[in-house]
Amino acid sequence: MSMINIALSGAVASQAALNASSQNIANVMTPGYTRQGVLLTAQQPLMSGAVTAGSGVQVTSLLRFADSYKSQQLWAANSQLGAHDTMQPYLTQLEQVMNSSTASINVGLDGFFRALNAASVDPSSSPLRQQVLTSAGALAQSFNSLSQVLVNQRTAVDAQRGSMVTQINSLSSAVAKLNQEITAAQARGINASGLIDQRDLSIDELAKLAGIQVMDQPNGARNVALLSGPPLVADGLAATLAVQGTASGAQVLTLQFAKESFTLSDAQMGGQLGGLGQMEQQVLVPLQQSLTDMAAGVAGGVNAQLAAGFTPAGAAGGALFSFTPGSSSPLAVVAGLQAQDLAFSGNAGTPGDSSNLLQIIGLRGQALSISGLGSVTLGDAYTQLLGRLGTQSQQNQTALTTAQTVRTQAEESWKSTSGVSQDEEATNLVQYQQMYQANMKVIAVANQLFDSTMAMMS
Amino acid sequence: MRIASTQYSATMNHALQLASGHMADLMQQMATGQRILRPSDEPVTSVRLARLEREDAALSQYRDNIGALRTRLTKNEALMDGMVKDMQQARDLLVWASDNGGNSNPDVAAMADSLAALRDSLYYSVNSRDDEGHYLFSGTASNQATVSFNAAAAAGSRYAFGGNTSPQLVMVGNGVTQAANVSLDDMATLLNQLDSTIAVLQAPGLDILNPATQASIKGSLDQVDSSLSVVAAKIAQQGGAQNTLQTLDDSHANVSLSNQQAALTLGQLDYGKAAVELNGYTTAVQATQKVYGRVSQLSLFDAL
Repeated sequence: MSMINIALSGAVASQAALNASSQNIANVMTPGYTRQGVLLTAQQPLMSGAVTAGSGVQVTSLLRFADSYKSQQLWAANSQLGAHDTMQPYLTQLEQVMNSSTASINVGLDGFFRALNAASVDPSSSPLRQQVLTSAGALAQSFNSLSQVLVNQRTAVDAQRGSMVTQINSLSSAVAKLNQEITAAQARGINASGLIDQRDLSIDELAKLAGIQVMDQPNGARNVALLSGPPLVADGLAATLAVQGTASGAQVLTLQFAKESFTLSDAQMGGQLGGLGQMEQQVLVPLQQSLTDMAAGVAGGVNAQLAAGFTPAGAAGGALFSFTPGSSSPLAVVAGLQAQDLAFSGNAGTPGDSSNLLQIIGLRGQALSISGLGSVTLGDAYTQLLGRLGTQSQQNQTALTTAQTVRTQAEESWKSTSGVSQDEEATNLVQYQQMYQANMKVIAVANQLFDSTMAMMS
Repeated sequence: MRIASTQYSATMNHALQLASGHMADLMQQMATGQRILRPSDEPVTSVRLARLEREDAALSQYRDNIGALRTRLTKNEALMDGMVKDMQQARDLLVWASDNGGNSNPDVAAMADSLAALRDSLYYSVNSRDDEGHYLFSGTASNQATVSFNAAAAAGSRYAFGGNTSPQLVMVGNGVTQAANVSLDDMATLLNQLDSTIAVLQAPGLDILNPATQASIKGSLDQVDSSLSVVAAKIAQQGGAQNTLQTLDDSHANVSLSNQQAALTLGQLDYGKAAVELNGYTTAVQATQKVYGRVSQLSLFDAL
């Protein structure tokens, strides 16, 4: 009798194992699926006796082939990748715009100083003076286009931050809800592997958006906190992240958890949100400031020198540029200015004099104080800004490549533990099929034995 | 290490993407001939390239200025050459007039008309203007006539210099300037001297033997001689300036050439190297594809 029971336990166990393998094969392409297997244990004999082998086999539990350390690595790598990955498109666009051979400020400055140099050949010539006005307009335009690109990028950063905050909130509440379901399932003894996979995928998405710390709880829940400390998910509770505009135009992140409220620093966020913060604080804002300084330097220098000179008619010189920081076109040629209003002469009554013009030409080599660069010459300031941006972009690209490699390796490492191998499942199928067939054979043998015993009786 | 089934396709994708990225960059490099596509490729080199470009832009403007300036100097020279010819003719007439033995009074009086024509020609030449009406020989006071004529004044003080002697400086190099103009400030003196002599010669009852008449002719002769040497010196200056400008232009051309060569060395793509790299990536992609094809054919399920 026990022989049949033992064989039955074997057949049941092999069926459970075949089910696990089928599930694995079915999910070979499912992202984030963690393979499962059966944990078989030999059953102790029910009745004591020195010659009783045992009571068969038992499927103690379904095994989930997961290594939480590898998952943690996967998430940490995703945060790094997210941060650098978000910055790169912004940096590349800036590089392309700033390095453009037609729209760069360097080209504008070259054109302006060329026109001034050309005017020195004949300072009172109208066409040459007109050329100075035209090229001054082109220079202002090149400043304005770049400042518009920067304004657009900051708008894009703000919009992207807003949508990321929404995503973080929905992912946090998804994780909190899954926490509840997993805790409940495990309390009832139900296999929660699929739910855990879903939750890990959500956590991975979260990690991409912001740097996080994940802590396993004894009840099966996973708590998620931001790198700087404030909680994002605790058991079944999720925090709400919000982004608020301030009067200065900058955005502020706040986190509301239960009744507590936190103000978060962009730079410490990590992940894509942190990348956006870095892009804004370390690239866009300083670049805007440097450009403003440069435009103010050009406008101030040229206007001051013009004021020291005289027009061909002998009148004192007026300003060429108007500079209004913060407007959509900060630098502009003063409206209504005529070619004959340019004060190139050093003395009233000598229209052929070019001494003041030569002073304006000399501004190119004059030192200018630019925030972030220090004291640089006007002609070299933009080149240095471009060099600084190039270095920032290069650093980010290097960091991005590293982050990509780390993430790829973390994925490989995770797959090496949790990923499904078809060949492995094929061998499992064969083995458990054989196990099932063997157990069936045992039942047949037991049956024959029983039959033989019955035949003896009759 | 245990390898999951999806690892092969992940590796394949990764390898393909990596190679595609590199190949796209190589293609763009080959299409443009530029080794550096964005500043971040090599920040330091791109800063050097930008500085070379700035310097080259300035040099080409200096060379343009030199070209325009040389035209201007040639024009100055041609106008002054014309004045020299006028002055030499006037000198011939004056020498003839001073020959007090051989000329009758009517001869000398007739000569005064020729002298007056030369005086007017000199007056117009010295007041030459450019296309925009700026006086060429007035120094930097280019809106003032070089020599003004006051018909109401007495002969000998009717002409006055209206300009100044300041140079009109043109940028021809970094911190290097060259005057584009010539101030003919002493032409008014010559015109006044000629004018007074003409008045003496045209006066009714002219006596060529009168010592005062002779003194006036002698005075004009001396002034013509002195003005001739002044203008000749100014013409020589123009020639000297032309030579200086030529030297400067050559030096700009040389610096510009060496800048362009440096820019080529720094920024130009080595096509041979790029082609070799492209081959390398192509081979890598082909090999990865083949390996993937072979590995993906292996499945234990086929054997079951």
